[in-house]
Amino acid sequence: MSISLKRARAIFVKDYKEFSRNYALSIMLIFPIILALLLRAAGAASTLPGSFATVLNLSFVFLTCFAQACLIAEEKERNTLRSLMMTPATTLDVLIGKSTLVFVMSAVVLAISTYLFGYEPESIWAFVAAILLSIILYTAVGTICGLFSKTLLDASLSIIPVTIVFSGAPWGAFLVDDYPIFKVLDYVPSSQLVHLLSIQSAGFTIGDLLKPLLIILAWTVVLTMVSVVLYQRRLKDE
Amino acid sequence: MQFQPIYSNGKLLLPKFELNMASNPSMGIITDLKRKQLLMNQLEDHSQYYVFRAGQNEYMRLTVEELITFLVKVTEGNDRVALLIDYFALKDERKVKIKDLSSSKRMYVTLLRVFFAHQPTLVLEEPYFYLEEEDRRHFKMILDDLSKEKQILILTSNLEDAMISCDAIYRLNESGLHPLDIRDSEEDKQEAQKQDEANITLQKISTKRNDKVILFDPPEVDYIESMDGSILVHVGGENYVCALTLTELEQRLLNFGFFRCHRSYIVNLQKVREIITWTKNSYSLRLNTGKDAVVPLSRSKLQELKVLLNI
Repeated sequence: MSISLKRARAIFVKDYKEFSRNYALSIMLIFPIILALLLRAAGAASTLPGSFATVLNLSFVFLTCFAQACLIAEEKERNTLRSLMMTPATTLDVLIGKSTLVFVMSAVVLAISTYLFGYEPESIWAFVAAILLSIILYTAVGTICGLFSKTLLDASLSIIPVTIVFSGAPWGAFLVDDYPIFKVLDYVPSSQLVHLLSIQSAGFTIGDLLKPLLIILAWTVVLTMVSVVLYQRRLKDE
Repeated sequence: MQFQPIYSNGKLLLPKFELNMASNPSMGIITDLKRKQLLMNQLEDHSQYYVFRAGQNEYMRLTVEELITFLVKVTEGNDRVALLIDYFALKDERKVKIKDLSSSKRMYVTLLRVFFAHQPTLVLEEPYFYLEEEDRRHFKMILDDLSKEKQILILTSNLEDAMISCDAIYRLNESGLHPLDIRDSEEDKQEAQKQDEANITLQKISTKRNDKVILFDPPEVDYIESMDGSILVHVGGENYVCALTLTELEQRLLNFGFFRCHRSYIVNLQKVREIITWTKNSYSLRLNTGKDAVVPLSRSKLQELKVLLNI
């Protein structure tokens, strides 16, 4: 399957214009910024070092995942995706064009909100790597959501289970004492992000940094592969 | 292209048939909704067929210009966008968002996707259905230009839509694919008309009097009489000599309401006023011409005449 940057860029530009003019979607761009400002005002920055992970975990779902799901579902709703499949553009061109847009938007907005929140990571490279991997991961989740929804409305609703599983997982920690089964939730990438961001400046090892990163990486690789395979299979059925 | 038969509940929905696209660059198939979908489902091969379905929608938030730029880029075309917009006659709508266009224009813009298809065969479902007159004309022009290089198949349930731009039209139902030879039947009609004209000129009855040729329209003639081997055509109380035989005249004038009432007479039935019965076996016809003209009627022809006149 060939990938053409020219075609992927055409799709990127087209989706950027569609996205920026769809205010119901593009309003989500300010969500992470508002959340960061709110939590900072509440004084969470100084008391709870891991609290910035909450901003990130919610933003990933409400911006990255939601935008990607809507972009794909909207194309399906209007049958333009089927039409695109009959052009020389391959499935990967379309997927790369859309994902790049979502990736760039998420990265920029999250960078701004990190700055506004005033979060200073112990290890800047581990923090950046975790964020970038997470964006890819949630884009893949968004793709899967988009593929299973036929309309924009379906896509918006499909975000709810994703929110519960991914954004809600870190709070599962409160239930572990009563129900040991919830220990599983500790391996969800959002929980790992909390662990990574909670690391204190004094006395951490490379292992402390690597373990969450590796778990997030594993999730990213698996979900990205699943989304690409699903995407190609679902489009064949179209 | 070949289509496989499709059965539903033991009933044949779509018979097996083959479509020879090579002979005609643009074809139309008139059939119902169900069969249209069955046909399109069989044209899965994206390298051969570009299938435009009626449910196709468009990126609503792009402007016309942005959309065409996108379509050019995504298909890696070399066309200049400005020239294309002129060609599509969309100059006035260049900066208008698709969602703000009129529904006919929106459909027209959506249909332009087929222009960018690289496949050798374009299949369109109901392309003209939502188009207004002007957009129809433009789109027909685009399809005509496309048909120089590609083959076009139009699926519709409307004969008129198929006639807009198809060279060959077929009707598809459970019994198979039936060609609808519209153009040929038009030619037939023209030929028939020519034949009629030829007959009319032939059916002028040419007579001679004093070495002049005089032509009569059949309705003018009162009756024709054979006397001493020459044929006399009676018109308005005068008689004129005709070169044809009575049998020839009878055949030519049959359609003009003439009747062979006697071995030596042909009469214009339009001018008959009265059937005179002399005796039981002897009859005559009186005509309503200025002079009192009476034509004999054979006993054997009486029955035929009664049938003709519904007596």
